[in-house]
Amino acid sequence: MKVQYKPKRNLLETIFQVEILQGMALTLRKLFSPAITRQYPQEKPPMYPGFRGQHALVRDSLTNESKCVACMRCATVCPSRCIKISYHEDESHKRFVDSYTIEALRCVFCGFCVEVCPVGAITMTEVFEYATYNRDTTYFDKDLLLENWDRFMAGSGHDKTYVNPFWRPRGIPESSLPAQRRMNVPDDWTVEKQFVGKKATSSQQCLTATTAGGSH
Amino acid sequence: MTETKTVDIPVQNGDEDRYQLKLGPQHPATHGVLRVDLDLDGETIVECDPKVGYLHRGFEKLAEHRTFAQNIVLTDRLDYIAAMSNNVGYCEAVEKLLAIEVPERAKFLRVMVCEMSRISSHLLWLATHALDIGAMTVFLYCFREREVLLELFAELCGARLTTTYTRLGGVRQDVTHSIMAKLDQFVEKFPSCIEEYETMIDTNRIWLKRTIGIGQLSAEKAVDLCLTGASLRGSGVDYDVRKHMPYAAYDKMEFEVPVGETGDTYARYRCRMEELRQSNYILRQCIDMMPPGPIVGNDAPDLVMPIKPGKQLEVDVHAGNALFNLIEDRNVFMEGDIYVATEVPKGELGFYFISDGLGRPYRMHIRSPSFLHIGALGTMGKGVMVADLIAIIGTLDVVLGECDR
Repeated sequence: MKVQYKPKRNLLETIFQVEILQGMALTLRKLFSPAITRQYPQEKPPMYPGFRGQHALVRDSLTNESKCVACMRCATVCPSRCIKISYHEDESHKRFVDSYTIEALRCVFCGFCVEVCPVGAITMTEVFEYATYNRDTTYFDKDLLLENWDRFMAGSGHDKTYVNPFWRPRGIPESSLPAQRRMNVPDDWTVEKQFVGKKATSSQQCLTATTAGGSH
Repeated sequence: MTETKTVDIPVQNGDEDRYQLKLGPQHPATHGVLRVDLDLDGETIVECDPKVGYLHRGFEKLAEHRTFAQNIVLTDRLDYIAAMSNNVGYCEAVEKLLAIEVPERAKFLRVMVCEMSRISSHLLWLATHALDIGAMTVFLYCFREREVLLELFAELCGARLTTTYTRLGGVRQDVTHSIMAKLDQFVEKFPSCIEEYETMIDTNRIWLKRTIGIGQLSAEKAVDLCLTGASLRGSGVDYDVRKHMPYAAYDKMEFEVPVGETGDTYARYRCRMEELRQSNYILRQCIDMMPPGPIVGNDAPDLVMPIKPGKQLEVDVHAGNALFNLIEDRNVFMEGDIYVATEVPKGELGFYFISDGLGRPYRMHIRSPSFLHIGALGTMGKGVMVADLIAIIGTLDVVLGECDR
């Protein structure tokens, strides 16, 4: 396809500067349209579940402690290697977390740690305003991470039914998720109620979502 | 008292009338940290020497120490204004290397996010290009629409720019009804927005004076300089990876490749404006034809423990370092090398891998369009005015994050 040019302006258009008048008319029209600028510090941007912000360790409402089982999956998958975990085992091989540290300044906020956690212990909250004058406060240890969670739950208006989309990814069948991450989610997160185009061909419709897989 | 010494500073090229100008790396018109060393004769450029490397982070080396899945986050930071396209390009290459099947729905989702990022990238290009040349209003209008797309990215995958949306064998998150409704609204509205931009600058006499005949390249010269993307198509070469070597679901999409004739800045501008319309049309088809089904293939490797599809490994759950040892195992992945190209907003983005079966690339080479486009700057910038050089940098559409990687 050859690109089309607009016709060259004629003498009259040149004299009366028609194209400039057209442009000015457009900007004048826009003067009366509603403003789209967001007055940021006063007016916060909309936040969606699954925003990859400040890290937090989920506080289990039963034990009042972290859910972490020290499986080391998050530390293994982390591309920037910013998660450090130390743990000890008792004689029945049950693991106890001694320390859990995240260096927020080295983190690339990819969300892989949230996605691989088998128990949904770690999450990335919708908090993004935690700039600080002090570098030390960006080294999150276990207590700080649990505090982050408390602050997030208090400030965001989420209740105990909060589900992070990376715990239970949209479009991934429940059967391929670990038991603790099979949570109740809105309808259109499930494979059965997913968005389908109007003109999706009938042969594609036959491919039901039950064949879904993916090793999670 | 010490003796004062006089030092003779030799004048390069022996011409005392020449004036040396270092344009950049902090100059806003160089779109990042590009430095251009200029030899000026009056206001005419005699020698033009682009210098790159100010944003070098060593991604190709970093990739050798991370698994294939982990490297996706590095590709976000290549062309950071169209991260989705890089994610898709990387995953397409790795999937071809490792022979991983991608389900139909994931292919459509990939095309969708690719075109969304193409629109947002072209909008940023138009905004900054127009701003360089002196049109302020277009800048504001473009960012108005770009904001809508970035909000959609945030809703889809949790980040506006560093998306990390794809994963090997599919994508990470499915779309929701609310995202598709918003995208549908955007697709409806966008053609009228393109007309607004065109009203502002398309026939504006200052814009025409600054773009027509500037940075003219013949088709042969453009091919010689390894230009790709709209920079090449402006010169009349019909080459688009999406059309000629279709990947993802592009073979099911209906679209045309806009090709210019004159090869100047204005032709490239017209090409990209047409591409915006074509991308919008592809988005419309994606919304209408989105098939049902899984978003991740059955043989997709695990994020933590990537093993060869179909291969079972016995894991001792009590061994502390089992996960690390598995990745160290030889022959976990396929061996061999591959080059796969995809069309990103800037041009042809290619990934070349050599895999030795360790589960991470032995060598990853990125053929980034911006690097080669900056290479063309030395030829294109010779004999033009300084102000025209700014227009040429703008029309080549370079991103230094991708150039220096």
